[in-house]
Amino acid sequence: MWGTEWPRYEVIKQDTPASPPQMVGSVHAADPEHALLIARHVFVRRPAAYALFVAPAEAFFHVTQEGLRDPKALEGPLGEEEAYWVFAKRSHRRSMVYGDLVGRFPARSPGEAVGQALLQAQGVAFWAVPERVVVGTEPKEEVVESWFAPAKEKTYRLQSYYGLISAKGVEE
Amino acid sequence: MNLDPYLKEALLARLTALADDEVVLAQRLSEWVGHAPILEEDIAIANLAQDELGHAKMWLELRGELDGSDPDRLVFLRDPLEYQNAVLVELPKGDWAFTMVRQYLFDAYEEMWLKEAQKSAYAPLAEAAARAHREERFHLKHSALWVERLAQGTEESHRRAQEALETLFPYARQLFQPLPGEEALVEAGLVPEPKALEGAYLEAVGGFLRRVGLRPPEGGYVPKSRQEHTEYLWSLLAEMQSVARWDPEAKAW
Repeated sequence: MWGTEWPRYEVIKQDTPASPPQMVGSVHAADPEHALLIARHVFVRRPAAYALFVAPAEAFFHVTQEGLRDPKALEGPLGEEEAYWVFAKRSHRRSMVYGDLVGRFPARSPGEAVGQALLQAQGVAFWAVPERVVVGTEPKEEVVESWFAPAKEKTYRLQSYYGLISAKGVEE
Repeated sequence: MNLDPYLKEALLARLTALADDEVVLAQRLSEWVGHAPILEEDIAIANLAQDELGHAKMWLELRGELDGSDPDRLVFLRDPLEYQNAVLVELPKGDWAFTMVRQYLFDAYEEMWLKEAQKSAYAPLAEAAARAHREERFHLKHSALWVERLAQGTEESHRRAQEALETLFPYARQLFQPLPGEEALVEAGLVPEPKALEGAYLEAVGGFLRRVGLRPPEGGYVPKSRQEHTEYLWSLLAEMQSVARWDPEAKAW
């Protein structure tokens, strides 16, 4: 945390009950509850969402494909076994490629959790975060209704929708 | 539903008051765009402003169905003396605490009004209220979160929040002043009874404010009529309407 800047939270968005939660970006906020509200404003004004999660950015362990060439890349101090959420970014091909949740893995360190995830997922980058620091919206109908449903009725229009009026167009 | 001319007149007045509160508040909120304390809140406040404008559009379209008026002309070419907003929403934006306390007081009122209005015997109003109510619940969550944090943050944030509350609380009570002819609307089951809502509001909002450590002031001046305005409405509308008035016949921008 630099100076007076609020801490940064990674934002994880789940589009439908059936789709995987994805890391979509981050927000600065005073606390996790604030981060969730801000994330709704910044990331879900229009696109569909079913749930949002946030976790402090500093709580994430991350490693890239290149980094994994180092045999010690996943080593680190071991603690009590706990659940980690592991995310994988699958490719660089498109401009918006998010980190998909590979799964929850019980492990003694984030490196161990990534090691387990690597057995079932490929990717160009991986993140792991302890589940205990993840805070999410409640999966209640009331929350989905007031946080996410209104977005579906807001039409997104590209700038070009409005067109340009030439002097000739106005005369007609 | 067939409305007799008296009910129709009263309903037009209520729809206009609803819309004007939203338009003026949206304009005040939008003054923060580019100036909010942090980028994320800047985006959030622009969202709130757009949502309130969306609600205004909805109310003015309902009005248009009744009297054929054009929402754009009402918003951009109507004189300040004809605006029916409450004083609460026209006061200058002040500091962040003032903006958030006002937003909380307004959101809490709107959330309650919309919740009740979903039972309106006038179906178009009931439907519109249901649509806006979902969104308003989220607004309330946002502004309540801020009021709590300002009240419990630092000595300075607490002082600023309390000062804002002293100024704003009496004005919030104006939102519950019945409009002329409104009793008939209430009796016909078209709109919620403002005075009944006020009791529930004072209990819920007062309780919340005290829980977070703020003191809602007793008494204070409550404007009686929506014809009452402060000088601030004039400059707000002058700015908001300047482009439209510059070329009222423009077909495209």
